[in-house]
Amino acid sequence: MNAFAPLPVGDLSSLRPELLLAGMGVLILLLDALLPRWRYLATPLTVAALFGAALASGPPAIAGLQFGGLLEATPLTWMATQIILLTALISVLTAHAYLRREGIFSGEYHALFLWCVVGLILMARARELLTVFLALELLSICLYSLAGFHRRIAIVTEAALKYFVMGAFASAFVLYGVALIYGETGSTRFAAILGQLDSGFASIWPVSLGLVLLLAGFAFKMSLVPFHAWAPDAYQGAPTPFVAFLSVAPKVASAIVLLRVLQVAMAMHGGPDWGQLVAGLSVASMIVGNVLALVQRDIKRMLAYSGIAHMGYLLLPLVTMNADSWRAVLVYLLAYALMNAGAFAVIAILYRQPGEQHLIGEIAGWGYRFPLLGACLTICMLSLGGIPPMLGFLGKYLVFLQAIQTGHLGLVLVGVITSLIGVYYYLRVVYTLYMKAEARAPEGLRVDLAGRSAVVLAAAGTVLLGIWPAPLLEWLMRAIRVL
Amino acid sequence: MADFLHLLATNSITRVVFFPALASLPLLVLRPQAKRSIKAYGLVVSLVELLLAIGLIATRFQAGTGLLGLRDLSSNGEPITWIARYGIHFDLGIDGVSMPLVLLTALLLPIVLLGSWRGIDKHWKGFTFSLLLLTTGVLGALTALDLFLFYVFWEVMLIPMYLLIGIWGGEQRVYAAVKFFLFTMAGSLLMLVAILWLAITFHDTTGVWSFSYEAFLQLELPLSQQLWLFGAFALAFAIKVPVFPLHTWLPDAHVQAPTGGSVILAGILLKLGTYGFLRFALPLFPHASHQMAPLVITLAIIGILYGALVSWSQDDMKKLVAYSSVAHLGFVMLGIAAVDLIAWQGSVIQMVNHGISTGALFLLVGMLYDRRHTKKFEDFGGLAKVMPWFAFFLVFSTLASVGLPALNGFVGEFLILLGSYRAGLVWPVILATFGVVLAAVYLLKMLYRTLWGPITREENRTLADLSLREILLMAPLCLLMLAIGVAPQPFLAPSKPDLEQVLASYEQALESPPPQSARVRTPTPPHQIAQRTVPEETAR
Repeated sequence: MNAFAPLPVGDLSSLRPELLLAGMGVLILLLDALLPRWRYLATPLTVAALFGAALASGPPAIAGLQFGGLLEATPLTWMATQIILLTALISVLTAHAYLRREGIFSGEYHALFLWCVVGLILMARARELLTVFLALELLSICLYSLAGFHRRIAIVTEAALKYFVMGAFASAFVLYGVALIYGETGSTRFAAILGQLDSGFASIWPVSLGLVLLLAGFAFKMSLVPFHAWAPDAYQGAPTPFVAFLSVAPKVASAIVLLRVLQVAMAMHGGPDWGQLVAGLSVASMIVGNVLALVQRDIKRMLAYSGIAHMGYLLLPLVTMNADSWRAVLVYLLAYALMNAGAFAVIAILYRQPGEQHLIGEIAGWGYRFPLLGACLTICMLSLGGIPPMLGFLGKYLVFLQAIQTGHLGLVLVGVITSLIGVYYYLRVVYTLYMKAEARAPEGLRVDLAGRSAVVLAAAGTVLLGIWPAPLLEWLMRAIRVL
Repeated sequence: MADFLHLLATNSITRVVFFPALASLPLLVLRPQAKRSIKAYGLVVSLVELLLAIGLIATRFQAGTGLLGLRDLSSNGEPITWIARYGIHFDLGIDGVSMPLVLLTALLLPIVLLGSWRGIDKHWKGFTFSLLLLTTGVLGALTALDLFLFYVFWEVMLIPMYLLIGIWGGEQRVYAAVKFFLFTMAGSLLMLVAILWLAITFHDTTGVWSFSYEAFLQLELPLSQQLWLFGAFALAFAIKVPVFPLHTWLPDAHVQAPTGGSVILAGILLKLGTYGFLRFALPLFPHASHQMAPLVITLAIIGILYGALVSWSQDDMKKLVAYSSVAHLGFVMLGIAAVDLIAWQGSVIQMVNHGISTGALFLLVGMLYDRRHTKKFEDFGGLAKVMPWFAFFLVFSTLASVGLPALNGFVGEFLILLGSYRAGLVWPVILATFGVVLAAVYLLKMLYRTLWGPITREENRTLADLSLREILLMAPLCLLMLAIGVAPQPFLAPSKPDLEQVLASYEQALESPPPQSARVRTPTPPHQIAQRTVPEETAR
């Protein structure tokens, strides 16, 4: 394609959601600067932008490439986009009351947040490594600033800095990987890399090294062991409603990129055994995540480690990839998004003292004081534990099924045993809520409608999709055929 | 969806299963303080549920039709599709094996609510809610004929039971609740892997996805696979029963659970383990279960003797009754592992018997606890003088539990021993008979220590006898004990033809040696298998 040709309209219109979100970010910044009295409008505006972006494009009927193959719009990317927007919605709805309570409400938060969403969507849609990298940087910079949004609290700044330093390393990994691959194959497009390898012009090992570096970079974003160390600290320090987003959305987009990278890697003849590599990451994440979550007393750290474990489960269907892997991964991501974001949303509402510890014991007995929030947190916990009829169980079912089917019974047994550990610590939250005497009365907690609806959205989605998953699965079924 | 709603509106298993869960939803909007209305509402719901269950069995159940007789089908004559992609069906059916347990569950629900009337002093709303959800889970697990669905119900039971023990239980309730949950979960997760393995094997051999029980029955597996799969299923069920040495969660859970929780646990939940053996573990893996039978029998005998001895040494009424469950269910396991028609009939009836008589004993212990807030023997003695009604019911239930002829326990134990003897298990039967003797020893010890002798404590002189409510809830249980004991035939007859059928196909499956690789027995069975709604896609 000629680089100077005018952009086709179709290409631009495929960017409608991203343009809308980015534009709304700018608008909110202006609003904050020019009409500070109206700044609380930032939340409804953000919500409107998220809804607009979700509705801006229906699921594409056929897979389409845009911008000369830099981006693609397929049912898969559409689904990933929807999951990211859903998480963003839950997060921003809870953020409203939280930011006001903490006195840090400002337009920058929402603007950065929206741009971060743009970065994530672009990353999921990118079919070319430099585009991936650009999207990664866009979202990372927003994430770093949001993680340190409580800038007056020392421990928060510390956490954000840790996240930033580690994240910079990961970005460097990715960039170096891109450079290696480009140097050897002369292309940064996923599709072209394989072609170059097959034609024998490129040698395998530099490309493999590049792919390993890419894997490492995205494993960092997904907080897979051994690239997980940042997650608990960053989660503990960052504003909790933002953690609802941070702990899910970047993992969704990164998982999509990881899938693409692995697809290239596994189609390669020769080179390292990628299945083994993925299996190693998966087993390490399942074990380390679950075992370390077991000993946490801080609920945010516990969920950070549990998130590590969940990414381990997510990798199970990728050890041997086929068309069904995508479905298992997407359902798992959707389940994880709803239950994890839902859990953090409840935590955002129930805990004050940002930056401090969020001890599980602090909410002892509150299941009766806040029946709705307690029930929703319970549902999210049970779903995280993979107990039917919640959506989390369906995710586990698909992942295990896929893994057994591709002959990895041993990995599934590890998954089963570690999820038993998981059940123990998720249940601990439930029994703290309902079976312990109230340790303290809540002070100054105001549960607003927005936060409550976010929590209910997550919990209801978890239950309803768990009970009636057929339409979702059927749709994914068709979507995979489009690919 | 439309089919599901249609079933819900008609006289169907679906309605019986889901009525408690649906009826629990209005509870959510009631104020927690409105205790009286919540109690009344729960009681009405439970009575309606009992009527629905009786009505369903009375009108639609026919002995000898197997699983095809009473079955929930959609308008096209097939089970409702739940998740078409994997051939998962919403498939409920009742045959002679599950029918008695379904009725027992429906019967115990109002009795449990009445029995908790005084004992439960907080969060009645949550209590009723959990109890109703639990009933749906139990009934679903008892009637599910799709293994995926079965697993879902199996797990759904866990959460309300966990809450019942953990919120309304005794001092160590949280420990007991978590232990209960983790033990059960450990077994069931492995069972899930086994179910997935079965489905994948079925898919690999036939090209069709299905989780249907009848489809899996057609599957012939090599012995090595059977052994592993049987192990996974048996572990899940053995934990639930509980079979020695997996029983350690049971005393904790029972002793800590509130009265209602103990009754449900002993009366119904434990039966799901033995039911699972009879329904799934044996028929699905005939060769493996045949080979493992000596082990199962040994463990059952150990359970009978060990449970009895430990029971004997207890100083706490509730612990005594709890350990007696280990012994009684040892009998049921012995009967199942004997693979003999009479023994199986005995096992089925003994499941019901144990539910009734142990349920009654737990209720009585609970009534005493409501009055004195202790369950220790040393705090009682001579109660027969002050509480004649209580004494009557306790003696009655105890004798039933001991296995006195003309009461229900005798029928079950006798049939199990007879059938096992007929199956050639001479030594196990001799040892198990010692268990019967021991049962008399420890249960009579309970009578002696609580009812007879001098009144040693002053507080006991003024204890109130049973109220009308308590008499009313004990009466149906005792009548049933008597009825089953005096005229067991009507209770044995409905399950006999179906058990015969299960036994015949089990023995038929044993006749041919296990194949070298997985294969399907006959061409695709009639309607139980998922149609191929979606063609298999090729790998990308």
